[in-house]
Amino acid sequence: MAVITVEKLSKNFKVKIKEKGFKGSLKSLIKPKYNIVKAVKNISFSIEKGEMIAFIGPNGAGKSTSIKMMTGILFPDKGKIDILGLDPTKERKKLAYSIGCVFGQKEQLWTHLTPYDNFKFFGAIYDIPESIVEKKIEELRELFELDEFINNPVRNLSLGQRIRCEIVASLIHEPKILFLDEPTIGLDPVVKEKIRTLIKRMNKEYKTTVVLTSHDVSDIEKLCKRVIIVNKGQIVLDDTMENLKYHYLNKKIIDAKMKEKINLEDVDGITILKDKDYNLKLEVDLKKKSISDAINLLNTDKIVDINISNVPLEEIISEIYKDGDK
Amino acid sequence: MLMEVKNQIYAIYLSIKYAFQRELLNKFTFLSNIIFMIINNACFIIQWVILYSIKDEVGGYSFKQVLLLWGVASFTFGISRFFFKEAFNLTDTINNGKLDNYLVQPKSVLISSITSSIEVSAIGDMLYGIVMIIVFGFTLKNVLLFLLCGICGALIIVSISIIFSSLSFWFGKTEIISETVNSLMINFSVYPEGIFTGIIRVMFYTILPLGITTYLPVRIISDFKFIYLLYLIIGTIIFVLLAFFVFYRGLRKYSSTNLMNARV
Repeated sequence: MAVITVEKLSKNFKVKIKEKGFKGSLKSLIKPKYNIVKAVKNISFSIEKGEMIAFIGPNGAGKSTSIKMMTGILFPDKGKIDILGLDPTKERKKLAYSIGCVFGQKEQLWTHLTPYDNFKFFGAIYDIPESIVEKKIEELRELFELDEFINNPVRNLSLGQRIRCEIVASLIHEPKILFLDEPTIGLDPVVKEKIRTLIKRMNKEYKTTVVLTSHDVSDIEKLCKRVIIVNKGQIVLDDTMENLKYHYLNKKIIDAKMKEKINLEDVDGITILKDKDYNLKLEVDLKKKSISDAINLLNTDKIVDINISNVPLEEIISEIYKDGDK
Repeated sequence: MLMEVKNQIYAIYLSIKYAFQRELLNKFTFLSNIIFMIINNACFIIQWVILYSIKDEVGGYSFKQVLLLWGVASFTFGISRFFFKEAFNLTDTINNGKLDNYLVQPKSVLISSITSSIEVSAIGDMLYGIVMIIVFGFTLKNVLLFLLCGICGALIIVSISIIFSSLSFWFGKTEIISETVNSLMINFSVYPEGIFTGIIRVMFYTILPLGITTYLPVRIISDFKFIYLLYLIIGTIIFVLLAFFVFYRGLRKYSSTNLMNARV
């Protein structure tokens, strides 16, 4: 059952154009010129209950604008949004009871209060009776391992601890859908991993649908089974992570350590990425050549060690971004 | 509907309580803000004492009425700044995308955003206003009317700020307009009504309704007529409704931002 359905959604922004220098400023004051930026162009997709999907794209692609329209922050210019049977433009308050939002760049917690007091405040915002809020805090405190700092003022917490609390605050009212906009921004790798584990656990325990935007490919790779890539306001890819990894670019990387130096040249379908001393790195386009073709080219008797891997997801995504730019 | 109102009031109460808690963190700043605001207001009375030593009446007001005028103006201004401080920073809230957090919550965006912090020095204004009504004439009727006028006046001041700040939804950086209107509302409200005539007087009962927020309350308390009270209540309802209408029309134009911000 689809919990999010977006049909032909569009949003434009009017941006003032200013020519350079003081003269340009004066000119724009007397005769202002505007540019219409098409932030989101006619996008459609749907998301099923319990899915964890990555909604990604380069900066300015339109992903935050799309999420803001889905959560009722922005009004769309055209198109239809259905979130759990509700229209965010008309039923924003009603919808708010069923969704949770974490914006990595915008804090919603009161910094002088403790996480515990903040959670109680959020409980009141969502009209939850105090006894139920207490129970919920207890439950989430365990799940998100907040014991150490739940009674310290938020301003004294580390960024990682704060993000954990932001997520907990957005879960107090048991939302059916959680929108996470760059939740791991600015965090170190250990804390990032911790947050990912907690999000995964939350999705498993509560069957919460998660819509995640992130520039960190590991977030996407480790959490999501489906990915929607937007670029220049349009969806350029909507596929499973598996398809994206194994079929989209159809390329493999071979790292080989040789007994002796061999001289190789690029052939159609096999590109030499690195050739240093006895180490070789090849990229094989599986549409043109097979792995065994590449290994035969290396001469199996001279191979000391070999590793065959997929092209890193980051590279695949960059390629898709670049394709979208063309 | 009734439940929704009750829940909204409870959320406002918590928001103000937590904002108050934050201000209490620094005891010295908290107390000095209040005390110095009282001193600041008291200093202005000296000029009136001097003026009334040479004249019995200024602009149709006796000295006692000027004290009442100052009391009403301070109290009204105090309530508006204490409970609805963020109504006076609304252009910044709109332009810097700070409405996002309130838009994803199941409460009124406007009410939640304008009650999200308090102005401590406004307690000084409120206390000063109370002292003035005691000096003018401490009767139960006067005190009740004073409270009612203070609340209505504050709601109008806040509404005016919301209406002019909401222009930001359409025109971007319009702080100068809302700031000018807000300071005109307070600067003119401490002079007797009689010294203003013609078009200015008309403005004071329309676009800059300080006539309704201060002059009308002075009349209500010093020379009570039910019709004055009715004007005040009707005026308050009109301005509050207008503020909600303009804000929510503008909200459709809200463009948010991706600027980093925190709730401090």
